[in-house]
Amino acid sequence: MYCGLCHTLGQRYGQAARFILNYDFTYLAILLSEPEESGASAARCFASPLRPREYLESTAAMSLAADESVILAYWQLRDGVADHDWLHGLKYRAVSAVLEPAYRKAAAIRPGFDEAVRTQLTRLSALEKAQCASMDEASDAFAVLLGSVAGEVDDPVRRRVLEQLLYHLGRWVYLVDAADDLKKDAANGNYNPVALRFGLSNGIWTPQSRGEFALSLDHSIRMMATAFELWDFGVWTPILETTIYQGLFHVGKAVLDGTFRTGYREEERKKRKKVEEST
Amino acid sequence: MNDPYQILGVPETATDEEVKRAYRELARKYHPDNYHDNPLADLAQEKMKDINAAYEQITKMRSGGRSGGNGYSSAGGYSGYQQYGGQSASGSSVLQQVRIAIQTGNISRAEALLANYSDHNAEWNFLRGAVCYRRGWMDEAKRYYQTACQMDPGNAEYRQALEFMERGTQTAYRPGGQPFGTEACGGNLCLPLCCLWTLCNGGGYWFCC
Repeated sequence: MYCGLCHTLGQRYGQAARFILNYDFTYLAILLSEPEESGASAARCFASPLRPREYLESTAAMSLAADESVILAYWQLRDGVADHDWLHGLKYRAVSAVLEPAYRKAAAIRPGFDEAVRTQLTRLSALEKAQCASMDEASDAFAVLLGSVAGEVDDPVRRRVLEQLLYHLGRWVYLVDAADDLKKDAANGNYNPVALRFGLSNGIWTPQSRGEFALSLDHSIRMMATAFELWDFGVWTPILETTIYQGLFHVGKAVLDGTFRTGYREEERKKRKKVEEST
Repeated sequence: MNDPYQILGVPETATDEEVKRAYRELARKYHPDNYHDNPLADLAQEKMKDINAAYEQITKMRSGGRSGGNGYSSAGGYSGYQQYGGQSASGSSVLQQVRIAIQTGNISRAEALLANYSDHNAEWNFLRGAVCYRRGWMDEAKRYYQTACQMDPGNAEYRQALEFMERGTQTAYRPGGQPFGTEACGGNLCLPLCCLWTLCNGGGYWFCC
């Protein structure tokens, strides 16, 4: 799937666009996929120039994931431009300029999604500027953004299921990310919704606030799980099931324990790579 | 109608015991308790209906073959959905309308009605919490339920809602019946499972606590 999405990006948007590929976008493609696997092909590529590697042939879901990935990556870069001064924003500006033609094309194919991403990112930066102390409200912008990925899905039941699943995935990601940045944000004086909500100084959890926060994460995971069970994801069921019922708990726990940053990401990356390549 | 065996996910050759086990697992997964106040509860209800019908059909077919009497006389299906919060009467007609809006899934309308209602009493806080929960604003939902309980400590409906926010995830469905929760893993309970997993997968440390 990872390789399939990469080829899809290349076919639709040219070589440069292939560099935005990451595992988050691959997960997106999996969630949007049909229950059956598409046919596999093999080809040489930059990452494997000698030995032809197997990849899944492009499907409608992969095209959708590719279009939406380009839009997300582009706005992520523009966000980087806005967040930095002129000099430090240079590299973001340079890369986003390279991605510009791909973005224009993707935005023309998926205007609804592009609009949703723009609206929610504007909302998010306004909330951050206003130092929003509600962690639900702050995470809502990113959650709605991710949920709108499902907006282009035709089947109404499937769209509802995916919207709910992605909303809570977005909420979870935003909150876990904020929890992971607690110490860094406390040191730099940056906005952190979780610190504001629980009144944490120096980014250190109290047992009670930690418990409350974990519970809130669990409610989101529960919502993801109950949504996930209402649609048949076919061949993708095992990997999604493991992520929802195990992976999220363990990542959340590692972040709360403060063990996520120390090598955990690297281990997780290797492990995920292993899983992805076999699917 | 679809193949009942396919719905329960068992082959036609499955024993009565296997059919029953598959049915119980699915019923646990789609049980109303697991979709309590969930915005997708209607979809779960449909699933539950299919599962009940499939189980009933299989038991009927099998008992028919054995000239009846023996074994399954009733399917023992789980009963239908009980709409939560429907039985309580509201103190005001506006709040009653809010309840109806929530039940019919019209969350925007419920929100608008609540915003225009100036008396922020216990029931208002409770309903505000219910709206937040459906929107996925879990932290705010809990806080509104807390306020409702503080204002009216004797109210069973509010207490039940708050208790669900505080302990509800513990009873959530998880395949294999493992405990559900971020903090639930890494304890003594999880450790043996982890070791098992690591051994089985040879260096599957990603999921290890």
